[in-house]
Amino acid sequence: MNALLDTLEMALSTLRGNVLRSILTLLGIVIGAATVVAMMSFTEGLKVKLSTDFAQLGAGAFQVQKWPAMSFGPRDWRKIERRPDLTREQGEALRDLPHIQFVSIEEYPHQPEKLTTPERATKQNIDVCGGLPDYEPANGVTVAEGRFLVETDIQLGRRVVFIGMDIADQLFPGEDALGQEVRLRGVPFEVVGIAQRKGAVMGRSKDTFAVIPWPAYERVFGKSRNTNIALVATSPEDVPKAIDEVVAKLRRLRGLSAQDENDFDYYSNDTSAEMFNNLAAMVAAATGAICALALLVGGIGIMNIMLVSVTERTREIGVRMALGARRRHILAQFLVESVTLSLSGGLFGVLVGGALALSARELFEVPAQIPLWAVLLSLGLTATAGMLFGIYPAQRASKLDPVEAMRTE
Amino acid sequence: MSAVGEPLIVVESLHRHYTVGGEVVRALDGVSFGITRGEWVAIVGQSGSGKSTLMNVLGCLDTPTSGTYRLNGADVQGLTDDQLASLRNKEIGFVFQTFQLLPRATALGNVMLPLVYRGVPKRQRRAMAEEALAAVGLTNRLNHRPNELSGGQRQRVAIARALVGQPSMLLADEPTGNLDSATGEEIIRLFSELHHRGHTILLVTHEPKLAARCPRAIRLMDGHVVADGAGAAVAGLGTSAPVPA
Ligand SMILES: Nc1ncnc2c1ncn2[C@@H]1O[C@H](COP(=O)(O)OP(=O)(O)OP(=O)(O)O)[C@@H](O)[C@H]1O
Ligand SMILES: [Mg+2]
Repeated sequence: MNALLDTLEMALSTLRGNVLRSILTLLGIVIGAATVVAMMSFTEGLKVKLSTDFAQLGAGAFQVQKWPAMSFGPRDWRKIERRPDLTREQGEALRDLPHIQFVSIEEYPHQPEKLTTPERATKQNIDVCGGLPDYEPANGVTVAEGRFLVETDIQLGRRVVFIGMDIADQLFPGEDALGQEVRLRGVPFEVVGIAQRKGAVMGRSKDTFAVIPWPAYERVFGKSRNTNIALVATSPEDVPKAIDEVVAKLRRLRGLSAQDENDFDYYSNDTSAEMFNNLAAMVAAATGAICALALLVGGIGIMNIMLVSVTERTREIGVRMALGARRRHILAQFLVESVTLSLSGGLFGVLVGGALALSARELFEVPAQIPLWAVLLSLGLTATAGMLFGIYPAQRASKLDPVEAMRTE
Repeated sequence: MSAVGEPLIVVESLHRHYTVGGEVVRALDGVSFGITRGEWVAIVGQSGSGKSTLMNVLGCLDTPTSGTYRLNGADVQGLTDDQLASLRNKEIGFVFQTFQLLPRATALGNVMLPLVYRGVPKRQRRAMAEEALAAVGLTNRLNHRPNELSGGQRQRVAIARALVGQPSMLLADEPTGNLDSATGEEIIRLFSELHHRGHTILLVTHEPKLAARCPRAIRLMDGHVVADGAGAAVAGLGTSAPVPA
């Protein structure tokens, strides 16, 4: 232990003497470590975002919509744009399918809205939905106060609204929001229920939504809408069967022939997980390739520094041997030096990669979260590179002849 | 430990040959002598006569081509690299003409180095190094780097480094070669003092005056011992004729 500390101390003092050269040569190592940390932070961030987005769906729920909710790889967007909209009739027709329990037909405006009271207003960030009572199970809503929409709200065309907790807090601070009036595009709605708080995921609140009965939605927004259909299978295990039934039925209703592709997309927790895994594998492969290349370049840089260092310090090595250093002392000294060098590059790279991920998150709202394992992995990789590429120079140092070594200038 | 009276060093028909471009250079060509504990011996001879080669072999830095070398009653030939390193660490203190201090280390750091390889704990190492530096009169230069010291001071650091592990002998290869005569004189006085304290010293020198001050001197020529006797006699400065080998 003592000996290792001594070796480390010696290594650090030599590296300190060559800071600039060390940093320049370490660029490859820095890039390698930074790549691992940054890419894995983005992957991890996306994973967290997706899993919370989809955990929002109730158990056994899945979605059908015109637009892909997320898409990786090339898609023909013009073709997607030409898809006919999903209609309420198509949605209603899915109710009779054997493995479907609930059908939540949801209309969304193209932009976020704002809600107002005579005294206050929310920001322009409210996700308004024109829905049905089935919205509740399909979206895993938990009622905190009051009630969710009911069938009579729809039948009587009531102007009522079920809101997220943030809206209640903003418009009615310190008051009970239930029974109060809020306005949407000037149209008054009565608050009948408030959802339990879901909190924020990566800085975005999940409590800024408002659900109104769809007839009321149509009166406010007219025909301007995107239609989503959220469905709940008879049980979570029945989701695949339910999806098959829904796809077959929609294809028939939308007049697709056998060779046409689906002109709609569907998502369940499973398909999103699968999609995410594909993406993560792609990112991991790209990261692996970049990182391997960078570490190779960095490793060669380290080998170069160390070879130069061995040459410059040939006399020192001879003197150390004359004073009683064994070959393995010299070997260890140079290995510790190259690992220390490489690790300091790795540490710097971790900082750069982490800073990159976090600033992308802050500036561009890219989901990112730095996983500890990625930090450890990149440190491990850089240390290994230092070790591997340090072996040859260290061996060369340890095999020097002391008399010859002391004679060099 | 060798028995009392048994020589510290015994070499018998020691050879060290180099092959350069197919030609054999006999740097040592059958050298035999013994040195007892506490002796101060000068090694003299012309340039190229084999003095440094002999010192390297005696210092276990180099292995002879043939012949025997017994140090402290034990055969040196046939030892592994690690065993030789350990011998150098414990039994031998080197002093070189060019000092051979590590430029980045302080005086203290340089002197502690042999103890690092002996595995002496840091605190003890420091105490021993301070003591050795005090013994060469450098108490107030502990944290100076070599380039902040004069030549004489550097050589004192090197001598402290050679002494710190309490070796059986000091091997000094022209320790005054890079010093002016006044400073060289100081270093020689230091050796003389060490000799009086009981250290065994082998000193390679070009200067007959210096060799004359040693109780004993060995003259090499073309890898042979050509004279071995009282320092003044071998140096050719005394009245008595040199003893032929
Ligand atoms: N590594 C080597 N390879 C080949 N020949 C060598 C080597 N080292 C020494 N020699 C030769 O061995 C002979 C003795 O050299 P050595 O260095 O021992 O002389 P020296 O007495 O120390 O001389 P000086 O007083 O100049 O230091 C010389 O002829 C030298 O050329
Ligand atoms: Mg010489």
